[in-house]
Amino acid sequence: MSNAFSALASAWLPALATLTALLVGAYMLAALERLVALGPRAWRLALLAPLAEGVALLRQRATRPAKADGLLFRTAPLIALVVAGLTALVLPVGPGVGAFDPSIGLFYFIVLFSPLIIAVMNAGWSQNANVGVFAAFRAAASLISYEVPLGFAMIGAPMAAQSLAIGRIVSAQSGLWFAVWQPLGLVIYLVSAFIVCFRHPFDGPLAGSELEGGALSEYSGARRLLFKIALNAIFLVLLAMGVELFFGGWQGPWLPGPVWLVGKTLLLAALVLGLSRFAPRLRHDQVLTLCWKALVPAVLFNIVLVSVLIELIYGVGA
Amino acid sequence: MPTSPSMRQPLRQYLAVDGGAGAHVIALLPTAAPGLRAVATPRHADLLIVAGPISARLAPSIAQLARALPVPAQALLLLPEVSDSEALQQLFPGALTSTLRSGDAGGDILRVVEAIRGLGAPTKALTLGDAHDYEPPLIPMPGANEHEMATELIAFSLGPLQPFTAGPLRLWLICDGEQVLECRVDAGYAARDLAGRMAATDWRAAADLAAQLDPLAPVAGHMAYVRAVEALQGWRAPTQVERAREAALALERALNHLHWVTRFFRLLAAPRLAEQAADLAWRASALAGGTLSAAALAATTPQGDVWAQPPHAAEARQSLAAQVERLARWVRRDRLLGLRTHGIGALPPAWITEVALDSPTAAASAAGANDCHARLLARLTQAAADLRQSVGDAMPPQSGIIQREPVRAAQSEARGGRWEVPAGVAGGEALGPRGRLAVRLTSAGGAGPTRVAWTSRPSARALALLPRLLEGQVVADAEIIVASLDLSMAEADG
Repeated sequence: MSNAFSALASAWLPALATLTALLVGAYMLAALERLVALGPRAWRLALLAPLAEGVALLRQRATRPAKADGLLFRTAPLIALVVAGLTALVLPVGPGVGAFDPSIGLFYFIVLFSPLIIAVMNAGWSQNANVGVFAAFRAAASLISYEVPLGFAMIGAPMAAQSLAIGRIVSAQSGLWFAVWQPLGLVIYLVSAFIVCFRHPFDGPLAGSELEGGALSEYSGARRLLFKIALNAIFLVLLAMGVELFFGGWQGPWLPGPVWLVGKTLLLAALVLGLSRFAPRLRHDQVLTLCWKALVPAVLFNIVLVSVLIELIYGVGA
Repeated sequence: MPTSPSMRQPLRQYLAVDGGAGAHVIALLPTAAPGLRAVATPRHADLLIVAGPISARLAPSIAQLARALPVPAQALLLLPEVSDSEALQQLFPGALTSTLRSGDAGGDILRVVEAIRGLGAPTKALTLGDAHDYEPPLIPMPGANEHEMATELIAFSLGPLQPFTAGPLRLWLICDGEQVLECRVDAGYAARDLAGRMAATDWRAAADLAAQLDPLAPVAGHMAYVRAVEALQGWRAPTQVERAREAALALERALNHLHWVTRFFRLLAAPRLAEQAADLAWRASALAGGTLSAAALAATTPQGDVWAQPPHAAEARQSLAAQVERLARWVRRDRLLGLRTHGIGALPPAWITEVALDSPTAAASAAGANDCHARLLARLTQAAADLRQSVGDAMPPQSGIIQREPVRAAQSEARGGRWEVPAGVAGGEALGPRGRLAVRLTSAGGAGPTRVAWTSRPSARALALLPRLLEGQVVADAEIIVASLDLSMAEADG
């Protein structure tokens, strides 16, 4: 009996807590997006609008296009949600508090992110329309382009912390946040995070008006709600990971760890969402150009820079 | 914008379809009511907004679109007050309607937001009347490429219901991957046979029809017609009347340019800039007030009355012009925006002279670079210049009101103008927002014109450039290029 209970406590509770946190987080991100767009005076509308939108989507019939590939069409949002859930598991919310903290945490995170592209491609391909296929190809084209800068931008942190475990990376920033001396890595990481989640201004595959909504153009009702939640959750997970890697994660005075992590993540989200409003939607080939010609060289330079800085800050043989 | 966070905001996802008269209102809608969100596909919408006029040819496409909305959904019809909208009302029996008054975009928006608030939450499927089924046309495809690695060509349809022109237009893009190999223009969805209907009616009613040629620029169409009638009568307007008319035309042009800029930024998905432009467009609409309304138009008759401009408008227009110039400077410096607009859709000068393109598009080409970015800047600059012209030239700054006495003296008939027209042929023209509108009237001395020909329709001329302009571009740029030409399909189709 006690064995069963401890099994429940060790496996199911963290999983349930993670999923709940993701749901709440996705909601908060949707509200924050409205708040950034409308200004603080419209806080009431911003807080309630996602709820009203969610209820409206739940009441809406989930259509399925004629001759669609039913299996791919229905499972695509679920795949996206699974990606969000699995990646969120490795985020520590306090000292030693987290679903699990494997020694290869960061590697696990990067690897489990890749199936997201499968969700978007399945969504585009399965709807049996040429806009969907165009969108799927645009999304696929950006896969490797963002994985390379995203992965390399993250590497600066484990280099400095001498570990791939996220908990150790956070602890290593108790003296100085990595954001202070790895600003280039931070910027590249954030830009890549936007591209990964197909958020504005990199949302061509999902929102291009010439593609009538792109890969998601045939989704309505509960399935669309699920997709929106998943995409929001994934963006939030990426930003939370950014806080863990560059802004000292859960560390901070007076308040408990989870509060610091959530607060920092939302603050970072408000900042980047506000900045992204100044840009028009980029064309997909411009996104590829940005990735390969700007981000990849910059991130390689960043790795060299970080290794030199590590020598200077921590001393030889640290 | 007149929004207040305490007001109960309608929270809807809407898909807007513009038959020609609704472009200005639809462009400002998301800014006027922050709870409304525009979506790009019917599957994401729970509210369908259809603006008239809708022709019989377009109705099946609209019906098909309406069927794609998931249950539950509602429809809101925006009906222009001057055009018959029975076809649209038959298509959506029992749907809520809101009237579009020409030249009063500000009032229109408040009415539309109020109507949407009155709709409440949707509970059932859209009610659709009888409509012919939409039959997708067969597109003859060019022969397959024989070379190695040849890909299958795709016929990609843009439109006929799209956000990048004012009114319906369908473009068939024959694409090799993302590259447009060939563009076929399928126009005529907005055709109303305006010239024929004008020739079948009397002089006065024809004036109202002339104002509908371009529903977004009623003054220009009306003015071209009135000037043609005056030419037939052999009457030359006094300088003061001419200045008042030019001022009204300038105001209308400025208003159209600012609304176009808003729509263009929305198409580029540049939220910050779209908000700034929407704010300017809104304020320009408020400034224009009733000056450009249908009632004011009806007061402008051959040898007749002119507009009375509201006082204190001069200063506000000057300050608005300064703000438009500030936005233009911002746009010029904005490198990110330039990424999306620089170097695409360049018009060689030879093409411009070939179709005799005038107005801002041509002005942009004269300045050197004639790509989408140049056209955007040209329209912003032109909007500021037009705003200044609508004040400075027309009247002494201190008075603000056009003195009407000399006009009255010149007028031989009672208010309402002279509509007796001797036999003959004469033309009249006016500079509208998209270029020079010109009409040629033939009179047999009867109660109405015997022949009407629109000899200059700028959108029709710009439309002729499209196939060449889109060839070799990529699909993602196509609609930005089309939008940059600022086509009014009602005017192009006549």
